[in-house]
Amino acid sequence: MAEIKVGKPDVAPDTTAHTKGVPQGNRKNAYERMIGHHRDGTADARRSTGISPKEHDAILPTMPNVPPA
Amino acid sequence: MTTTASRPTEGDVPKGDSRLVEMAWDPITRIVGNLGIYTKIDFEDRKVVECHSTSSLFRGYSVFMKGKDPRDAGFITSRICGICGDNHTTCSVYAQNMAYGIKPPILADWIINLGEAAEYIFDHTLFQDNLVFVDYSEAMVKDTNPSVLRRAESTEAPNAAVHGLRTIADIMRSFNPFEGDLYKEALQVSRITREMFCLMEGRHVHPSTVYPGGVGTMPSPSVFTDYLSKLMQVMDFIKRSVAMNDDVFDFFYEALPGYEEVGRRRVLLGCWGAFQNPDVCDYRYETMSDWGRAMYVTPSVIVDGKLLTTDLVDINLGIRILLGSSYYDDWAAEDPFVTHDPLGNPVDHRHPWNQTTLPTPQKRDFDGNYSWVMSPRWFDKNSGEHLALDTGGGAFARLYSTALAGIVDTPYVKATGSSVQISLPRGGNLPEQVLEWHIPKWSNAIERNRARVYFVAYAAAMALFFVEKAMDRVRAGDTKVFQDFEVPDEAIGCGFHEAVRGVLSHHLVIKDKKIANYHPYPPTPWNGSPRDSFGTPGPYEDAIQGTPIFEENGPDDFRGIDIMRAVRSFDPCLPCGVHMYVGSGKTVQKLHSPMFGANHG
Repeated sequence: MAEIKVGKPDVAPDTTAHTKGVPQGNRKNAYERMIGHHRDGTADARRSTGISPKEHDAILPTMPNVPPA
Repeated sequence: MTTTASRPTEGDVPKGDSRLVEMAWDPITRIVGNLGIYTKIDFEDRKVVECHSTSSLFRGYSVFMKGKDPRDAGFITSRICGICGDNHTTCSVYAQNMAYGIKPPILADWIINLGEAAEYIFDHTLFQDNLVFVDYSEAMVKDTNPSVLRRAESTEAPNAAVHGLRTIADIMRSFNPFEGDLYKEALQVSRITREMFCLMEGRHVHPSTVYPGGVGTMPSPSVFTDYLSKLMQVMDFIKRSVAMNDDVFDFFYEALPGYEEVGRRRVLLGCWGAFQNPDVCDYRYETMSDWGRAMYVTPSVIVDGKLLTTDLVDINLGIRILLGSSYYDDWAAEDPFVTHDPLGNPVDHRHPWNQTTLPTPQKRDFDGNYSWVMSPRWFDKNSGEHLALDTGGGAFARLYSTALAGIVDTPYVKATGSSVQISLPRGGNLPEQVLEWHIPKWSNAIERNRARVYFVAYAAAMALFFVEKAMDRVRAGDTKVFQDFEVPDEAIGCGFHEAVRGVLSHHLVIKDKKIANYHPYPPTPWNGSPRDSFGTPGPYEDAIQGTPIFEENGPDDFRGIDIMRAVRSFDPCLPCGVHMYVGSGKTVQKLHSPMFGANHG
């Protein structure tokens, strides 16, 4: 494993799901806050990657924007 | 035999009758190892006179689910089963969607349908070709019915052009465990179909990407094209399997006149529906009748070949959990959880929503209580009867219900009112083929087994339809697969689905954001239930009592093959290790496991 510096976790890694303070994937408005997801159900490459995402978007506006992975 | 026809019962059989030999197979199932079949056989009349099915293992999901976060229900209940756990996750998710008031994105439902279709293909293939067919293999038939094998050697297979095997005995040889070509190929197919499943639901058999609100599967085009290419890999195998099944089962009817009586019972079938239609389904109880009928396997209750209902609300309200011969105390004195459903209909105290499980361990007594399985029954309000429905191993009831209702109409599958037409496209070697499953005359061992392979074809054809629908959405740029939600303080929900081997329901009551009551009812409690409080035997008992014995072996080297075929036709999970007890006090020490073939005793 590469030694990557990370911050101190807010909670112990083995904290159970649904503990107060742990963000819940199902919470209201979670979808709108997620990067790359659009309200109409479509998405763009930011859903999948933060590295040069625009290069992975559809090349024409008429094409569906399907995130790379 | 039927539950209505007169036949010898406990009262008619003189105790200590020397003609009767007690024979027992316990355990029969592999997953929980808890199904036992105890019989009395009359070797002079060559039939089973009495049968009890018993379970010696208590699970207790309904007890320990209480107080847990309801969002965990799908992950916990998945562990009920080691082969169709995903059916539980899916059913739990359906119940939770109703309780939380969620309409998941359309693509999420197509993805779940694709995962479940792969599961049906995988599980039915594994069970049929690697476990059921051992009972019909050359090795087994040589041991139990040598004259039948001799006849098979000289009987041409009618569908030889499709499967390439000249005689019926050649097909039986391909069923031989570990050695037969079909046996080995089926193992490969079950691997490919499990990979298909994992593409959609993340992991087999406990899905990691199926939640209330949708799925966590990334809907990239390659997920669907990978699925489709794997599906096309198994297409020719399915066509050959159907042809081989038809040849062997038709041969058994011909070679052993009267074989239709093996495992036969009255047509009393339940199917709770599978494959949601996301264009109609909004998971609300108020509209459940409509979206239930729109499912791509139609739910229904069938009695004597007639549809009693296709309405999921009726089906839900008719469920009764009876005791009678089970190791539980009655919950009649407990407070009900749900007195009326969201439509205002009264909910019975014996309904799963109101059930309280009160286990009372005790000694097994076939004249009293003898099983941990309760007796689920369906109350027919018109006749006032508590019907002991079976699932026919799942596939039989699903095809019967879909065929009879005549609602399903897709490019690859069409229900006609008396049959189901299934179109399979051209594969690597075989051309396009249209299969047709007709409603058979009997509900017996052979027809339950035959339906299983036809449902593999049904699920494959449906999977083609689902993958096309899903790809259409992805091509339009729709990649939304999850809908956020909040857990309400109080709610109720119910999920209806088909586990691979039959009806599956999950009933959920939430109080203070926690589970107050949770009752899963998988198919085996319906099929393997003991005598209920009205004395009505469960389906295994009913089907085996009166089963004629065609085996050529006498009591000393009796395999019980006809009884095993009858029990296994219901797909009681995965039968593998079977040991035998002869009631005269002599324990047969030699363990025989048909999975390893008759020569591996």
